[in-house]
Amino acid sequence: MPDPTSIRIRGVDKSFGAGEARVWALKQADFEARPGELIMLVGPSGCGKTTLLSVLAGTLTADAGEVEVLGRRLDGLSQAELTAFRRANLGFVFQSFNLIPTLTVRENVMVPLLVQGVAREEAEARAGALLAKVGLGGREDDRPGGLSGGQQQRVAIARALVHDPRLLICDEPTSALDKDTGQRVMEMIRELSRSPDRVVVVVTHDHRIFRFADRIAEMEDGRIRRVLDDPSLIDSPSH
Amino acid sequence: MYRLALNMLFGDRAKLAMLLVGLSFSALLMAQQSSVFFGIMSWTYTPMVNIRSAVWVSDPLVEQVNDAQPMRDTDVTRVRSVDGVAWAAPLHTSILQARLPNGNFKLISLVGIDSDTFAGAPAVLTVGRIEDLRLPNTVLIDEWGANLLGRPETLADGTVRQRPLGVGDTFELNDTEARIVGVCRVKRAFTGGPFVYTTYDRAKAYTAGVRRTLSYVLVEPRPGVAPADLCARIEAETGLKAWTSDTDLWSWGERSLAKSTFWWFWRNTGIPFSFGTAVLLGLFVGIAISGQTFYSFVLENLRYFAAIKAMGAGNGVLLRMLLLQALAAGLLGFGLGVGMAQGIGRAMIEKGMPPFVMYPQVLVATLVLVLGISLCSALIGMAKVARVDPASVFRA
Repeated sequence: MPDPTSIRIRGVDKSFGAGEARVWALKQADFEARPGELIMLVGPSGCGKTTLLSVLAGTLTADAGEVEVLGRRLDGLSQAELTAFRRANLGFVFQSFNLIPTLTVRENVMVPLLVQGVAREEAEARAGALLAKVGLGGREDDRPGGLSGGQQQRVAIARALVHDPRLLICDEPTSALDKDTGQRVMEMIRELSRSPDRVVVVVTHDHRIFRFADRIAEMEDGRIRRVLDDPSLIDSPSH
Repeated sequence: MYRLALNMLFGDRAKLAMLLVGLSFSALLMAQQSSVFFGIMSWTYTPMVNIRSAVWVSDPLVEQVNDAQPMRDTDVTRVRSVDGVAWAAPLHTSILQARLPNGNFKLISLVGIDSDTFAGAPAVLTVGRIEDLRLPNTVLIDEWGANLLGRPETLADGTVRQRPLGVGDTFELNDTEARIVGVCRVKRAFTGGPFVYTTYDRAKAYTAGVRRTLSYVLVEPRPGVAPADLCARIEAETGLKAWTSDTDLWSWGERSLAKSTFWWFWRNTGIPFSFGTAVLLGLFVGIAISGQTFYSFVLENLRYFAAIKAMGAGNGVLLRMLLLQALAAGLLGFGLGVGMAQGIGRAMIEKGMPPFVMYPQVLVATLVLVLGISLCSALIGMAKVARVDPASVFRA
């Protein structure tokens, strides 16, 4: 019986290139995330973290294996179905924020709602409310370029959560930030995304934020090497 | 999403300005050159506009109004005898050299009209009376010619200015005096010289030595007789060529002399090629500048389009966003370009040349081409956006 709130990946392969130039990014990778938890994917560069993240976000299709996200098998879905799935269920926080510089802060936050077809007035109200929650009330009409890195990432968090997604995907959310700002951003992600039926997956190299995880999945050579239930047990700072 | 698409475009002022430079320059070049082309082409059949007559009869060899083949004076009588003709009058047209009092020579277009009916006389006389043409050695000259043939005079303060010719001034045509008794307002001609009107008989004197002086027979149909039908009758009964006088480029009939003139110049001169090249240049410049700029706009925004795609926007939404951006830029570029073309055109009209006629059809064609350029640019960009992998947002 599929669980509509969890993630299960079984025996997933993903390679790039062909012939002798073929590189295996994922090899028989298994991964599981439970509802309500914040799980971090850690590991050295090139171990397959981003590829695994892309596969479970439905932006990359696995070569083989089973990918079940929020009760839905993604392997075998068409591009249009994957797009619709992402639209309805996923929120993203990117390493480089990816805020559109020519739009205002409010308009950036409204994007996922407008993509879903929410009316502009309602989208404005919901974006404004979430911006107030992330401490950016009064900056709605500013351009992202006028904000600090931490403020921009807070805007990105608001954008990721504005449509109440059941899966929040964070790709290196603190790597462009200093230590204190990174800590505050993680506190915010943890506080605002906490929900019994939401899964938060964070890919990171930043050992300073490991403590915010409920569990940590350590990757190596395209597969999950181990999963730690106690984040303090992981040997940092090699990651 | 679509308002955001516009905000993305208008938020990038530098790119927008570059895009508008390309599109508006393209629109300017296409609209301005087309309008000058139609202006010049409208000059080719100026006599049809200035000399008003429902039907023109010519030698059968005539192909265009500026190249009259001489006919016998008796042809006027033959035309008059055709059923459906209310009246018919002779008309002489030729190019002559006018000798000015200062010894200079200038080319003029001589028009000899019937002294009884004054058929073919200019519609507007700013000075003088048409009846004065019955006085000996008299002519009317057009306003532009009065200025062109004017003579310098020294004012009381010592400054020298060109004084336009006026009533009472004289010049010579073929060693025969021509005394101005009026100034008329007519349209400029392709041949360049001013129009000088006189009577048909006096035109014979001014062109002494020319055996046949009848260029055209101007004909008025009886009430109820269609000009085109009358043309067919005249041709059948006299063996001459008969033409209608409709000069509207967009609605002229098969027998229009203006139409025949227009296409004669189209076929036998480099005018269409020259202006067509300029219009094509405008098109290519527009495609090159706006296509390149729009493409670089898309490239710079590619990661954001990828992010929007990752958030669940399909290619259809992104295509419509790009099309809307292109459409908005195209409309703005069209407005700016055509506005500039109008400004230049008005300045040209005030100076008198080159001629400038901006038909609504030119505006529509320019709009279609500019929007076509914009949409092509959007499609080039769309090919990139459609291929962008939403997973690429995790690699940046």
